[in-house]
Amino acid sequence: MADRYSFSLTTFSPTGKLVQIEYALNAVNQGVTALGIKATNGIVLATEKKSSSPLIDASSSSKISLITPNIGMVYSGMGPDYRVLVDKARKVTHTNYKRIYNEYPPTRILVQDVARVMQEATQSGGVRPYGVSLLIAGWDDGIEPETKAGEDAEPEAEKLAVKSGKTGGILKGGPSLYQVDPSGSYFPWKATAIGKSATSAKTFLEKRYTEGLELEDAIHIALLTLKETIEGEMNGETVEIGIVGPPEDKLLGYEGVEGAVGPRFRVLSSQEVEDYLTNL
Amino acid sequence: MAGMFAGPQEMMGYSFNTAPTSASEPRQHSFYPYTDNGGSTLGISGADFTIMAGDTRSTSGYSINSRHVPKLFLIGGEGPKNKGARIVLSVVGFAADGDALKEKLDKEVKMYKYQHGKPMTVSACAQRLSHILYNKRFFPYYVHAILGGIDEEGKGALYSYDPVGSYEREQCRAAGAASSLIMPFLDNQVNFKNHHIPGSGEGHDLKPVVATPLPKETVIELVRDAFTSAVERHIEVGDGLQMMILTKDGVEEQLLPLKKD
Amino acid sequence: MSSPFSINGGAAVAMVGKDCVAIACDLRLGLQSLTVSNNYPKIFPYGDVYLGLTGLATDISTVSDLLRYKVNMYRLREERAISPQTLANLVSSSLYERRFGPYFVSPVIAGLNHKDGKPFICGFDSIGCIDFAKDFIVSGTASDQLFGMCEGLWEPDLGPDELFETISQALLSAVDRDALSGWGAHVYIIEKDKVTKRLLKGRQD
Repeated sequence: MADRYSFSLTTFSPTGKLVQIEYALNAVNQGVTALGIKATNGIVLATEKKSSSPLIDASSSSKISLITPNIGMVYSGMGPDYRVLVDKARKVTHTNYKRIYNEYPPTRILVQDVARVMQEATQSGGVRPYGVSLLIAGWDDGIEPETKAGEDAEPEAEKLAVKSGKTGGILKGGPSLYQVDPSGSYFPWKATAIGKSATSAKTFLEKRYTEGLELEDAIHIALLTLKETIEGEMNGETVEIGIVGPPEDKLLGYEGVEGAVGPRFRVLSSQEVEDYLTNL
Repeated sequence: MAGMFAGPQEMMGYSFNTAPTSASEPRQHSFYPYTDNGGSTLGISGADFTIMAGDTRSTSGYSINSRHVPKLFLIGGEGPKNKGARIVLSVVGFAADGDALKEKLDKEVKMYKYQHGKPMTVSACAQRLSHILYNKRFFPYYVHAILGGIDEEGKGALYSYDPVGSYEREQCRAAGAASSLIMPFLDNQVNFKNHHIPGSGEGHDLKPVVATPLPKETVIELVRDAFTSAVERHIEVGDGLQMMILTKDGVEEQLLPLKKD
Repeated sequence: MSSPFSINGGAAVAMVGKDCVAIACDLRLGLQSLTVSNNYPKIFPYGDVYLGLTGLATDISTVSDLLRYKVNMYRLREERAISPQTLANLVSSSLYERRFGPYFVSPVIAGLNHKDGKPFICGFDSIGCIDFAKDFIVSGTASDQLFGMCEGLWEPDLGPDELFETISQALLSAVDRDALSGWGAHVYIIEKDKVTKRLLKGRQD
């Protein structure tokens, strides 16, 4: 039997729950807090970099990862599972998209691909769900839907333009921030937090978040939120920040190529974080 | 040239390796006496003139042998410089056969004048050329020939040939490597193919534009356009454009540069 | 003669104009020298991007259907129409997937860029190598003739009407010198918010 059938570890309980997923969420809720805030001109991802020993070399480990030049990701939960997901996310970016269309996927497409990877771990034989929740932040070059001349009379077109005018998104372009859970469900957020102090951090963010926020304000709020929940000391070594901002052409590593646009996503250096902290 | 005497297993090695012995298998050798030297020619006849043109590049395979090997030849006239000749022959294909054909036709036309005491007409020369080509029906001159001149009524005359002497009088003809590029352009611009009188009907009821002979300046411009276009898209065409303009007053020769890449 | 590219015959061409592009094809379908159909268009619309396919007829329908499926899936997944550039890369990767058993087609793409409205045309070989041309792309059994015509007639910044005349004359005169192409033509003129499709009669032989 055992060599002919494999059973998913994630099976329904009589009450209709998948307890393995709930256990995975428990792992997430014990994880270090991570948060993301979307601004008009960018997104900030922030988390605490906790080290179990003063001998750990914090400067050479990183929790916020680049997936595409315009998309970054942070997690709460189990570090090893996260690294596997980063690898898979980077891989599907290419196999499912760049090698086909010769361009990087829009944020939502990447989120869906990563969510599929996580969902499959809840329905496949011999595997367990990933013990992480993710925050994925990205910028899309969209096209502003324009109202064509003479089409104003048609309420249908008007409605469509409003509908596609949702914040971020593929058509309109701009920033978007998603959370992906172990179950494979994903949610778009203006600002959110995951991990141990997610609830209190979200309450804090609800008070501080305003529409029309700029990236610099968002970084400020991110650090204030982190300050409320952080357990150890707060400095450039213990706080990690990733931003999606304007294109950084100097990060290309070359110049003089017409039409080349630099990456929007980058992880701030500890010195940059330090500078933000002194201005807090 | 190497292709001319190619055995089936031509390889580098020691001479004694391939020395035949009594146990040797029979070996088959082949001899292919033709080379395609590339290039293109064209001719257009007008009301009282004929223009012949050809590029001056000579190639074999991907190599350029020379940037100046003319494909246009004066036929008849006086002496080796063909003084006072009124007929032009263009040949494209295998240059050696082209040369031999030119020499033969030139000789025949000159002999005709010696024997008859009057220059050969273009139509007579055209038929003679056909016979010369057909005489080698089973070992042909590997060329596409075009013959240009002024006929007995003073009109531009143009004859085109296949390698074995089939011939036809035409308004225009392109031959050689880029003929497939140039010929439809000539159909369109010289014979006004696919041109219709606007508003003269719908679909097939549209009245076609009737081709009328073009002025000389227009034709020269067309020839230059045809060749600059062919040079862009065909690697065997380029270097120089040789043009001969035949009128009742004689033959005027022009040499214009083409791209050398 | 027995090359898969020249069994059925056919020709297609795309051209760039000023704020517009054009794409055209002939209508013949043959089996060697026998004409089987005189109404076999070789241009396929994918939203506002147009794809011309010449070559082996069975592969023309397979490739056009495959791309219709892929482009529909793209639109559903991404909630947006595919741009000409993206379609070009999709065609390229789809063809290269069959690197060692290719579809015998020579595709041509024409469209206007969604962001800046810039004209875009490109062509491919049968294994997906893209030819990004600034002026024109030709394909099919009359490609030599089309090269000669386009090189002679095309000029930069043609308006929609001049572009229509240019591409029509180029195609009609080219296919008249190719025994495997002809029997009328379809011509698409693509402008910012208008696409005009015209049927040309041409020589019926």
